[in-house]
Amino acid sequence: MTPMSRLSDVHPPATVDPAGVPATVDPAGVPATVDPASVRAAVDAVPDPELPPVTIGMLGMVHHLDVAGGKVLVELLPTFSGCPATDMIERDVVQAAGSVVGVTQVVVRFRYDPPWTPERITAEGRERLREFGIAPPGGALVSAGVSTEGRSVLPLAVVDHDDPRPCPYCGSIDTQRDAPFGPTPCRDLRFCAACQQPFEAFKN
Amino acid sequence: MSASVDVDLPDLASPRTQVLLALADDALISGHRSSHWTGVAPSLEEDLAFSTIAQDGINHADVWFQVLLGPPAGADTGDDLRAKVDALGLGREPHEYRHAVLCERPPRDFAFTLARHWTYEHFEALRLEALTDSSEPDVAAVAVKLRHEARYHLEHADHWLSRLSAGGSDDAAHQRFGEALAAAIPEALGLFESVDGEVEAIADGLLPIGHATLRPAWTAVIGPALREAGYGELVPDPDAAVPSVAAGGRHGRHSPDFTDDVWPEMTALYRAHPGARW
Repeated sequence: MTPMSRLSDVHPPATVDPAGVPATVDPAGVPATVDPASVRAAVDAVPDPELPPVTIGMLGMVHHLDVAGGKVLVELLPTFSGCPATDMIERDVVQAAGSVVGVTQVVVRFRYDPPWTPERITAEGRERLREFGIAPPGGALVSAGVSTEGRSVLPLAVVDHDDPRPCPYCGSIDTQRDAPFGPTPCRDLRFCAACQQPFEAFKN
Repeated sequence: MSASVDVDLPDLASPRTQVLLALADDALISGHRSSHWTGVAPSLEEDLAFSTIAQDGINHADVWFQVLLGPPAGADTGDDLRAKVDALGLGREPHEYRHAVLCERPPRDFAFTLARHWTYEHFEALRLEALTDSSEPDVAAVAVKLRHEARYHLEHADHWLSRLSAGGSDDAAHQRFGEALAAAIPEALGLFESVDGEVEAIADGLLPIGHATLRPAWTAVIGPALREAGYGELVPDPDAAVPSVAAGGRHGRHSPDFTDDVWPEMTALYRAHPGARW
């Protein structure tokens, strides 16, 4: 589908004027021109509320960003549909984009197509996750890709047995998954036999 | 509809709406029942499992409600859409819900919870798989996403079948889980009832495979698994009818487990404080 598919309208558009942001005008009274790169940088830098060292840019959640005059449209891909942090992320994106000079309105929409996949996490994001004690998803997903009809395809087997995550503390791959459900919808629980530490892993 | 909150909702009787309500309501009510284990599950792992499964179910319902509502009108704000989603999830009268009666059954004990979970997750996996071919792009895309998440539920359900049946028919766990499956499987046949307007939704391509047609596919999956686990006598006959106490959910006929238990509890805050935000 095109970036402006109807699916982009599924989530509530947050047509919220950034709170506390004064109309930005230069001394001559002319509205400032919005620099799209500045908006992108501000949005990319919004931290994940549940994983503060990692930003939504590093997680690959920013699908599309459009700047028209002072109006900004941000399309985000939720990692898991049940992520309770989406409302906070939406609010933080409105605030971050709204703080860029010249921005008068920010609309945030969540969409499900294309689906978010762990491959979207950047190298820096993976390293930050590891530092935070969460094993990032490793390697390519065996069956993920695009079907012959052009639809998105996600892996449907839970492949942890073939996916021993390196321990985020000692790096050993002598680890096992203890439980498929963890503290958030996007994480599971693992144990490192080498350093005897439990740790969490970001789900594939 | 309850008249407590004034929101403009689409026609609830249309075939498209009826199908999407069945998808959403199955997930919503199953999610609520799963949440009953939060804090009291037999182990910490199962507490996390059913809490996550509950969270997923309620959010999957939320996503289907958003699909049902379609693109927001130009003037609608995020709050307007939340109000509409809440009106769909919490503002309907009990007879307006379209989930199967199985979903509203109380958790009873952990064996019944796992038996219901296993029958339901295999049904939901097949239905989501079918929906990835929906003619409506939003429905197909959401089905891809939700199916990806639901595979964890399925793995969890299958794990418990093999674990509880591993001791063979002389084992107490095998016997107790067999009794739970014997209670859940006949009622699970209610999942395959058609909603009003389903014929039109199938012709339209919105619902690529009807509920009734999913039943043989479901039996083909659970049948071999039941036989392998030593529960061959529980494989439902192709023409077995839904027990009358578990029939009619897709048409809004619900048991006291819903009308006197889940529904009043689930909607209490919404009815007491119309338009509340949380």
